Amino acid sequence: MDEIGKARVVETPADLEDLLAAHPDYDVQLESLNQRQLAWRRFKRHRMALLGSTMFLSMVVIGIVGPQILPFDKNAYLPTNQVVNVGRPPMVIPYFHPFGETTQLQYDVFTLVINGIGLSLLISVGATVVATLIGTIVGGLSGYFGGWLDTILMRIVDALLALPLIYLILVFSEFLGGGNWFTVMLIFALLGWLQTARLVRSVILSLREEDYVDAARVAGVSQMRIIFRHLLPNALSPIIVAATLSIAALITAEAFVSFVGYGIDPSTPTLGNILSGAQEAIGAGNWWWAVFPGVAIVFIVLGINFMGDGLQDALDPRAKI
Amino acid sequence: MKQKTELTDLEVGPAVSGPPTDPDILLEVRGLRTYFHVMDGTVKAVDGVDFSLRRGETLGIVGESGCGKSVTALTIMQLLDIPPGEIAGGEVWFDGRDLLELRPEELRHVRGADISMIFQEPMTSLNPVFTIGNQISEAIILHQHVGKKEAMVRAIESLKAVGISAPERRVKQYPHEMSGGIRQRVMIAMALSCNPKLIIADEPTTALDVTIQAQILELIKKIQADSGAALLLITHDLAVVAETVQNVAVMYAGRVVESGPVEDVLLRPQHPYTLGLLGSIPALHKRGRELDVIKGVVPNPFRMPPGCKFEPRCPYAWDKCKQVEPDLVAVPGRAALSRCFLHLPDESTRRAEFDRVSVATVATGMS
Repeated sequence: MDEIGKARVVETPADLEDLLAAHPDYDVQLESLNQRQLAWRRFKRHRMALLGSTMFLSMVVIGIVGPQILPFDKNAYLPTNQVVNVGRPPMVIPYFHPFGETTQLQYDVFTLVINGIGLSLLISVGATVVATLIGTIVGGLSGYFGGWLDTILMRIVDALLALPLIYLILVFSEFLGGGNWFTVMLIFALLGWLQTARLVRSVILSLREEDYVDAARVAGVSQMRIIFRHLLPNALSPIIVAATLSIAALITAEAFVSFVGYGIDPSTPTLGNILSGAQEAIGAGNWWWAVFPGVAIVFIVLGINFMGDGLQDALDPRAKI
Repeated sequence: MKQKTELTDLEVGPAVSGPPTDPDILLEVRGLRTYFHVMDGTVKAVDGVDFSLRRGETLGIVGESGCGKSVTALTIMQLLDIPPGEIAGGEVWFDGRDLLELRPEELRHVRGADISMIFQEPMTSLNPVFTIGNQISEAIILHQHVGKKEAMVRAIESLKAVGISAPERRVKQYPHEMSGGIRQRVMIAMALSCNPKLIIADEPTTALDVTIQAQILELIKKIQADSGAALLLITHDLAVVAETVQNVAVMYAGRVVESGPVEDVLLRPQHPYTLGLLGSIPALHKRGRELDVIKGVVPNPFRMPPGCKFEPRCPYAWDKCKQVEPDLVAVPGRAALSRCFLHLPDESTRRAEFDRVSVATVATGMS
């Protein structure tokens, strides 16, 4: 019996029965899973969430690795073929261009899409992270302290929300000089925290009435620590869900803003810019220029929405198993 | 006389002020008033509460729902939401300092380190996202200035002290993995972890079933005796008070109506309200008889009677009680204080009638 003193971990009751049948002298103890393990277990059971996160994560990998292998260079267009200057469809060109090439300057659409995915994700994820941070801090303070602080912060949020966001973005990018991806990301971040702030405020507002808040105050825990260490972890699941959905919304928002020409410099390949360039070409029968970046957007947005849905279920601390 | 009492009623704050002269007194509450400003007006939840507690002693606060006993505890700890709450007056002297005068930062070091609290509802008083080891050690790290590892060791020790088996394993568990009784033990361990001078227990057994109640009370008594901390026990259960504490204060409508050593108050009640409470306890030998109850209901907080607050329900009340409110005065020949005109020297006839009923009630209650 060289196994004496060694622990064996089983996960399901059936496994335990098998093990006990084989070794009736085993001592059984319950080991509890922590919240993260429980959440992962719930997430694994959610098929669509697994599919969605696979879609999204593969897009992230493509967006990170792709541009390293096939960097976009705006001078590196293919030698112009006078005969077919509407661009050539996928696969019919002498060398490998799976997504075809564009009209006029004849860029490789595959290279464009890969770089577009990377840049669009960078903008939307970056803006979401900043917006979520601002929104969480504002909402947390507002919800916990209430009173005049809450009134001031929430009226600011109300006032900003009353402005039509998409026009605000257009105006901002006009005056801040769009074109630079960082400026666009900053605009998204500065306008994107409003909903998060409202969400976090409402969650904190109800959480602050919990008895464990009083228990923490009685233990002499500081207010800031109560907000950000005790309450925020309880509010984390709606925040994460909102953040994932915000990434999806910003991908489409970026596509829209660039499409109407107020976003990033047209020579920079974001998914929106590629679509924008493609709009005339579609009429000429050049479908591949628009379809592939469009599919990329759909992939990212769908994937992230499914993922957010699964996270919502998985991160609920009150859910069973 | 009448004029003087009216003046007392109007003035906010007690006549005496300053720290208690006797250094042995750990907590002295004087003329504490806590009001809530709500839409319909002002609720005077606590309206002139006085009591004191010596080091290492135990005091029970009893009273029916809504009499202000929990608000008193919350005011001492300053856990009220202000507004709508307002601490309208009074002093809370704890260990030479007036807690109501402390800055938030100073108060934070008193809470947890010097005063700790056990709550009524163990199911919701622990944060669901932390292991209990984390929650206990947080206060230890905060107040005892030790590292994480050392704090965890102390957390395990305090769990052991409250009789939790396999504490090394328990510290890694989450609150949802424990029963109510175990969670209340965890709460007690938390309260104990920083060696406080005062433990406030706000109905610590109300949410538990009866067998667990007895265990938890035993435990509270034991840790109180072992640690030498003073205990302020808030409850509506007279049996709990009789078993657990040395002194008791009976509250009614935001005031202390009677206080004194527990034997005195429960065996020789001096206030008609206390007598009514004792009389309304069901007992085995009262089977089949109608239960003696205190007639009427607690007065509407917006329409408090002008005189004695218990007057509308008091079987001994007379005209004077309708007009002026009695003070909390020492009862001649007893260690107790009572807020009743019966103890005035010129009320001996009424007093005799009260004593007769009182002796009879307590005698039947004890038999």
